Amino acid sequence: MPKRLSCDNSKCIACGACMTACSTLFFKVDDPKRSCIRIEQNGPEIDMSVCNQTCRLCVAECPVKALTVSPQGVVMLDRKLCVGCLACVAVCPTGAMRHYPGLANPFKCIACGACARKCPTGAIGIVVEE
Amino acid sequence: MITVNGSPHPWHDGMTVRKILEEKRYTFPLLVVRIDGRLVPRSDYGETTVPDGADVDVMHLMSGG
Amino acid sequence: MTDTGFDVAGLKASHRPVSEFRYEKRPVVAGYNDRTLYVNVGDGRIAEKPVSADTRAKFTGGKGYGLKLLWDAVTPATKWNDPENEVNIATGPVGGNTNYPGSGKSIVVSISPTTGIPIDCNVGGYFGPFLKFSGFDALELQGRAERDVIVYIDGDEGVVKIFEAPGEAVDSHVLAEQMVAMFARDENDRQHISSVSAGSGAENSLIGCLNFSFYDKRRKVARLKQAGRGGIGTVFRDKKIKAVVVKYSSLDVTSNNPADLAKLQETGLKLHREIIELDDQQCRMREIGTAHLTEIMNEYDLLPTCNYKFGSSPDAEGINSHAFSAIVTHGLPDGCWYGCTMACAKAADGFELATGPYKGHKVTVDGPEYETVAGCGANIGVFDPRVVLELNFYCDTYGIDTISFGTSTAFIMECWENGILDSDRTGGLEITWGNGPAALELLHRIGRGEGFGLVAGLGVRRMKAYFAEHYGADPKFLQDIGCECKGLEYSQYVSKESLAQQGGYSMALKGPQHDEAWLIFMDMVNNRIPTFEDKAEALYYFPMFRTWFGLQGLCKLPWNDIEPADNASTDEPAKVPEHVDNYLAIYKAVTGNDLDREGLIRQSARVYNFQKVFCIRMGKGRRIDDLPPYRMVGPVTVEEYESRADRYDKQLREQVGVDPSGMDTPAKIAALRAYREDRYEKLQDAVYKRKGWTREGIPTIETLQDLGIDYPEVVEVVKPLL
Ligand code: SF4
Ligand code: SF4
Ligand code: SF4
Repeated sequence: MPKRLSCDNSKCIACGACMTACSTLFFKVDDPKRSCIRIEQNGPEIDMSVCNQTCRLCVAECPVKALTVSPQGVVMLDRKLCVGCLACVAVCPTGAMRHYPGLANPFKCIACGACARKCPTGAIGIVVEE
Repeated sequence: MITVNGSPHPWHDGMTVRKILEEKRYTFPLLVVRIDGRLVPRSDYGETTVPDGADVDVMHLMSGG
Repeated sequence: MTDTGFDVAGLKASHRPVSEFRYEKRPVVAGYNDRTLYVNVGDGRIAEKPVSADTRAKFTGGKGYGLKLLWDAVTPATKWNDPENEVNIATGPVGGNTNYPGSGKSIVVSISPTTGIPIDCNVGGYFGPFLKFSGFDALELQGRAERDVIVYIDGDEGVVKIFEAPGEAVDSHVLAEQMVAMFARDENDRQHISSVSAGSGAENSLIGCLNFSFYDKRRKVARLKQAGRGGIGTVFRDKKIKAVVVKYSSLDVTSNNPADLAKLQETGLKLHREIIELDDQQCRMREIGTAHLTEIMNEYDLLPTCNYKFGSSPDAEGINSHAFSAIVTHGLPDGCWYGCTMACAKAADGFELATGPYKGHKVTVDGPEYETVAGCGANIGVFDPRVVLELNFYCDTYGIDTISFGTSTAFIMECWENGILDSDRTGGLEITWGNGPAALELLHRIGRGEGFGLVAGLGVRRMKAYFAEHYGADPKFLQDIGCECKGLEYSQYVSKESLAQQGGYSMALKGPQHDEAWLIFMDMVNNRIPTFEDKAEALYYFPMFRTWFGLQGLCKLPWNDIEPADNASTDEPAKVPEHVDNYLAIYKAVTGNDLDREGLIRQSARVYNFQKVFCIRMGKGRRIDDLPPYRMVGPVTVEEYESRADRYDKQLREQVGVDPSGMDTPAKIAALRAYREDRYEKLQDAVYKRKGWTREGIPTIETLQDLGIDYPEVVEVVKPLL
């Protein structure tokens, strides 16, 4: 079973530190739109959205097999193979396969844990399911 | 009597859009149904009843290779 | 099949270089290279040609470019098998885009062996896009080689080579695998190779098709899409070309260098989402492709059965979409080009062949598409899905058009039924309705170029003449039941009850293929276009609109085989306005140029009228050439009339104004025929007028001027006829 990010929205305070950590790590900018994890305040609710690593609909949809499952069970995107068709973005039921307008390839959470380390309340963590 | 796509068609009590499609054997999936000019959403075909004398338009969008 | 099956080194050792051409690699700019590639397999010349600003402005790309190059290459006297005839392949400016569904089509044009006029086919596979990204907006193949050659375009290195290739297979399912094995470095490199090839049947018949390959990474098979109509495969083999291969390894969204990538992505993503959300309630293209149509056509009495005599059969269930759905492999991203989430390119895997030279082989069979199910199924009385698949496989690998094969075989079967053919004349084949094994054996004989196979491979028009001359058959009857127009076999819809579709078919420039217009529902079921003028307007708009796909390198299917959830509430749902706007948006996002709906129609109208004049230049394209065989218009035989007697009697009473009671069937047939043929003539008048043509179907000088295609050599063609 996969290694993935677990989210507990009862602990989340929507400070955005995780999004800063993620987008800075991968895109060298602090921009929530380029973060793999997305936190949104929705009235009183806080929505936390990130890849569950389990449904793998994107993997089945990719015409060039740019999406594969790593030995740890993480869905990985190989940008060298990707042709940017965005089928994976459309098919992802949780919106966790991200697209940023004008970027050639989509991007997604690889369960590296960088965001979890910056979370002040412990709302995010890495879990490895049996 | 009602009119379906310009031709007369017998009417009966409680007739729904779905029933008309069955009677006319309109099995094509891409249909646009209007009763006296009013659009009927696909999801309502089962509930929407058709009054006697109605002018029903069942437009088949073309398809095909 | 894997490369271990081929002795690639041995094949390579047998190659003999003919010529080589190096070119400067340049990136595509906003969808265009502004140069084309010329290859003469006869004398080995290879050259690049610039595309003039005028050509680009008037012909746009794709089919427009193909036709312009062909026009310049031939004369009015050119026959299909003259070396100067060409096979031209081009995608358009939008072609090769990877994120709007249906953006990978190639358009092929040539002077057709069966019609003698330009034919055009819109085909999937990777070739056209790879050709463009290798540096060329179009490829011209001219000349005739003495021995079999392969043309190889290496878009990575910027080299084009012609070499003699005596060892490679001719049949496409083997040859396409050989090409992949030969030119790919490793498994991952295979998807960078695409080939165009024909087959042994294309050598021995006039109804040859071309196969465009696309490597399927999951199945590990080089799959094939067909440029089917009009015998282009026959021209290709006449030139002694075994294959044209292209390699391009760096495909991504920037290969086409679009002017506005973000907008392109936004539009593509919108359509992807629409397809993924709605397709399973609409056309089920992702599940079974166009084969979803079989039961619908059967239900509406439109599925050609026994040479278009009837529009349905109680046995049609045997070949409906569920029968094929049980055989094809599901859940794979079956796009014929990257980014097509319609994914209609279905395939059955591990299909064991029961007949022919590959008997016992387990193969991947592409399709079947609706046209093949109807043509190689119901129309020849076959309702066994495995026979349909086997016919489909062999047609493809032999390089035979499934539509022309189906319509020709249906004609043969009806000739058999009427005593025109017997087993002496067919070399022992009992070619009767529904005889699947006989149909397969006939196909193998076409493949081998043997006996009656040689006659069948001539297509319906030439068979009519042959049967009249050699077997004393009644030419009038043959004309009535032989479903061809201009020399091209009809595609697979019954048009008897739709006057507009009769026109859509027989006024189509290249011959009766439904890709110009499919108006049966609009006309016959919806009753939306009752007057001649209404029908003429539809026969203006839809052919113009649909021509545009061929200019751009687009597939028609994602236009209207999926519709937005709110399409019904738009003012013209049949046009799918939101999708039309998507096309304008992606055109602008790729090329950077604004285009409105009117401008789109103008782009098409230029090329459409140019093609019309081209047909006239080659000796067809006049009013008399647009007359359908009566089978496509109304009931020819007593059996046919009586099978739908209520319908026809009612029409006699209500439309013709004749009382059928007391009339015998032949008299009723005659009365209905006079009425219908008269209406067809009236439709011709209305359509020609709407298109800006004379009553004889000739574009007027004003029409040509208005479109800006009044080139002296174009005007010269029409002038004597005005
Ligand atoms: S990216 Fe989306 S589709 Fe892919 S595994 Fe994660 S949640 Fe599923
Ligand atoms: S965008 Fe890239 S990763 Fe996603 S489906 Fe297309 S090719 Fe695969
Ligand atoms: S809809 Fe089908 S034929 Fe058209 S591009 Fe997509 S996969 Fe190819």
